[in-house]
Amino acid sequence: MQEKIIKYIEELSSEEIDESIEATEDLLGSGILDSLGMMKLIAFLEEEFCCKVLPEEMVIENFMTVLHITDYLETKLVEKQ
Amino acid sequence: MSIYTLVHIIENAAKQKPNKVAFKYLSQVITFLELHKKSSQLASYLINEGIKKGDRVGIYMNRSLETSIAVYGILKAGGVYVPLDPFSPISRTEFVIKDCGIKHVISIPQQHRKLKKLTELLNFISVVGLTNPLTNCKTISWESIFNIDVANYTTINILGDDLAYILYTSGSTGTPKGIMHTHASGLAFTTLVADLYKMENAIYGMHAPLHFDPSVQGYFAAPYALATTIIVSDSHTKMPASLADLIVKEKITIWFSVPLALIQMLTSGVLENRNMSSLQWVLFSGEVFPTKHLKALMELWSFAKFSNIYGPTETNQCTYYHLKTPPVTNTTIPIGYVWGNTDFKIIDTEDKEVSKGAIGELVIRTATMMKGYWNDPLRTQESFYKDENIIGAPHIYYRTGDQVKEDEKGRLLFLGRKDHQIKIRGYRVELGEIENILTSYPNIEEAVTIVANLEETEQKILVSVIMPSQKTAIDIDDLKSFCKKKMPIYAIPDKIEILKDFPRTASGKINRKEIEKLIIE
Repeated sequence: MQEKIIKYIEELSSEEIDESIEATEDLLGSGILDSLGMMKLIAFLEEEFCCKVLPEEMVIENFMTVLHITDYLETKLVEKQ
Repeated sequence: MSIYTLVHIIENAAKQKPNKVAFKYLSQVITFLELHKKSSQLASYLINEGIKKGDRVGIYMNRSLETSIAVYGILKAGGVYVPLDPFSPISRTEFVIKDCGIKHVISIPQQHRKLKKLTELLNFISVVGLTNPLTNCKTISWESIFNIDVANYTTINILGDDLAYILYTSGSTGTPKGIMHTHASGLAFTTLVADLYKMENAIYGMHAPLHFDPSVQGYFAAPYALATTIIVSDSHTKMPASLADLIVKEKITIWFSVPLALIQMLTSGVLENRNMSSLQWVLFSGEVFPTKHLKALMELWSFAKFSNIYGPTETNQCTYYHLKTPPVTNTTIPIGYVWGNTDFKIIDTEDKEVSKGAIGELVIRTATMMKGYWNDPLRTQESFYKDENIIGAPHIYYRTGDQVKEDEKGRLLFLGRKDHQIKIRGYRVELGEIENILTSYPNIEEAVTIVANLEETEQKILVSVIMPSQKTAIDIDDLKSFCKKKMPIYAIPDKIEILKDFPRTASGKINRKEIEKLIIE
């Protein structure tokens, strides 16, 4: 899951990235993703992991780093089962 | 005390309301007195480093509390602040730094990695604000700055006519141009907006980053009115639910952003269950606000007044249009009226004033106007329109490059860029008008129209690109018959293409050049 997400973000990123993105890197504050990139990432996550990101869940706490995203998705997928 | 320069704003605020919060970023705050002291400490450092009046100093920071200290510190030293966007490509930043000869940069530890790169390319004298030193130039931390003794600090004699800031925007030639503002033009703008929106006691939500001209309101107009500015973090600008929470939590009373930030909150549905009734004014600028979204937002936030602000960076800003109730139809709202200390003309291609109600280019004469473009007197001259009626004291107007007309109520209507007015098969067509009609069709978020050349016949055709609302389909045939009802036959797009997302510039505006490239390919 983590690898897939990192790969997608690297494709999306508007910035020149020298090193690969780390799971703990701040995606929002660092400029790796802009606000439209974020919207695209959310659409990707919904499709790839068959879940629905609710408007209320579009918060910094869920999307700050790849680690935050995977934690959040895992909780969602557990809830679904 | 009297306020004649931008520096006087903080001196006055520190006297009037020393313990009031001046700026807040996440949980960090700085009061007016603290800001006054810390900016004097930075100024003292810069003066010791040899900064003279008019020297350019870079601010290489993302949105942060330290931006406020950097802005006032540089001004107090007599310097000119130049915002450098840390999210723009290194090569562009390198161009700007070389173009205006920046030798000192103020930053924060988060930017260490990129500054390392920049200092390898350029010769800086010093970088302020990093905790870990750089190898090839002098580095000083904020902590050391805040230990500087300012007991014997003497102020620099600054005049209204002295340069205060240079904002770089992308030029039509592809290289960025530096727009120079003085203390007087910045202050004229400050007092006009502080009065117009009655900013006293406001809690001002600043969405714009420092390099984007609306930030002049947050950094100067709010402190001028002794109001508190909330610096929205970069993370908040990307998460609609967090952004909405911030408005609620900080009880923001005046909000100012590009329409896109508001539209994202509206369309993601995060506004429904939140009480945002602290909002008294919602200001927006930078792009046309699609009327159907504006209507929906105004219905939701019926407690707030809305105001459309217009103006090229060269004039700071110069017109406003207030809305107290939602617009009735889907037509684009006016850019409205010029504000105080400002006049305008509408001229044709021969520089003659057009007859009332006719379309022409808007030229603006105002106290908030720039001094000129940095290191480019030719471009500066070309951008001015002179009315020589009074010998020896010509009235100087800035050519906005925007097509407008004045309606019967005396309101200005924006019709697109001058270079978006084209001639096709002999007819004059305003691309902006076609776009306005397209976005009034249901489920079209945004539209761009470009002129493409057919290679074989060298014939010009109109291609419109539309962005549908999420998860909706557009019936192109129906849209075409809609166009036939609304526009003259020669203005109907020959082709309509659908794009799910529009490429955008750093400030969130639609990147027309990129779209042209996509279409031509």
